[in-house]
Amino acid sequence: MRALIVLAALLVSAAPALAHHGWSGYDSSKELTLDGTIKEYAYEHPHGHVRLEVPGKTWVVTLAPPSRMQNRGLPADKLKPGTRARVVGYPNRTDPDEMRAERIIIDGKTTELR
Amino acid sequence: MIHPPEGPAWLVWLETTRLAAVMRESLWTYPIVEIVHIVGFVVLVGAAVMFDLRLLGVSRALPASLMARHHLPWARGALLLVVPSGFLMFIAHATEFYENPAFRLKLLFLALAGLNALLFHRGAFRSVTGWDSSAVPTTARAAAVASLVLWVGVIAAGRLLAYL
Repeated sequence: MRALIVLAALLVSAAPALAHHGWSGYDSSKELTLDGTIKEYAYEHPHGHVRLEVPGKTWVVTLAPPSRMQNRGLPADKLKPGTRARVVGYPNRTDPDEMRAERIIIDGKTTELR
Repeated sequence: MIHPPEGPAWLVWLETTRLAAVMRESLWTYPIVEIVHIVGFVVLVGAAVMFDLRLLGVSRALPASLMARHHLPWARGALLLVVPSGFLMFIAHATEFYENPAFRLKLLFLALAGLNALLFHRGAFRSVTGWDSSAVPTTARAAAVASLVLWVGVIAAGRLLAYL
């Protein structure tokens, strides 16, 4: 039983360091604000994405699950290619081209994604 | 697609099926399938853990053979919820899961848990009626410990899929 508890504790403590989809995989000390144009979108589970072109770079921006975005008034058709969007979020600790958005602002409307 | 499927052809094929697309794109299918998966493994692992604990000496007042008759059919039946729902979540991102170390670890733990159950049923379990009043043999207790560790491992690796 003691071995089980130790194993569980190890797994739990290891999880944040290894996180990818969870928020801890992103560096919240480096908040980014990106203004760009959506080139591509995926309104998919478990997380939506957009490819956002900003001057000099194209980011993959990880959004929220589609069911949450829908509930908060951000249906798929708001993310159509060509749409201007501002995202505020944090860069992935290991993938320099990916960031996770805390919120997305389209046509002056802010949608919180966490 | 933002993450175009790349990998073994059969996984690319699975991921590009209509069913996989529905899993990704339908608003509520994915969460519902997740809920079915969780309900299924709660019953499966819950039943297994309760029986394992009995073998390890907890609640000796309950006859081990009766516990086996009550718990093990539920554990087996729960596979009908767990396996199809797991398959549906897998095909939604088959190539990504294939590359994911937590997924490989989960499959390994699953295979070992299945093997452990099989060996247990072919071996020590045959004398289960004798354990109702007397001590549980060491081989059965070892299988119970292995079962506990492996099922916790399956759940842990499954949850870490989202974090690796």
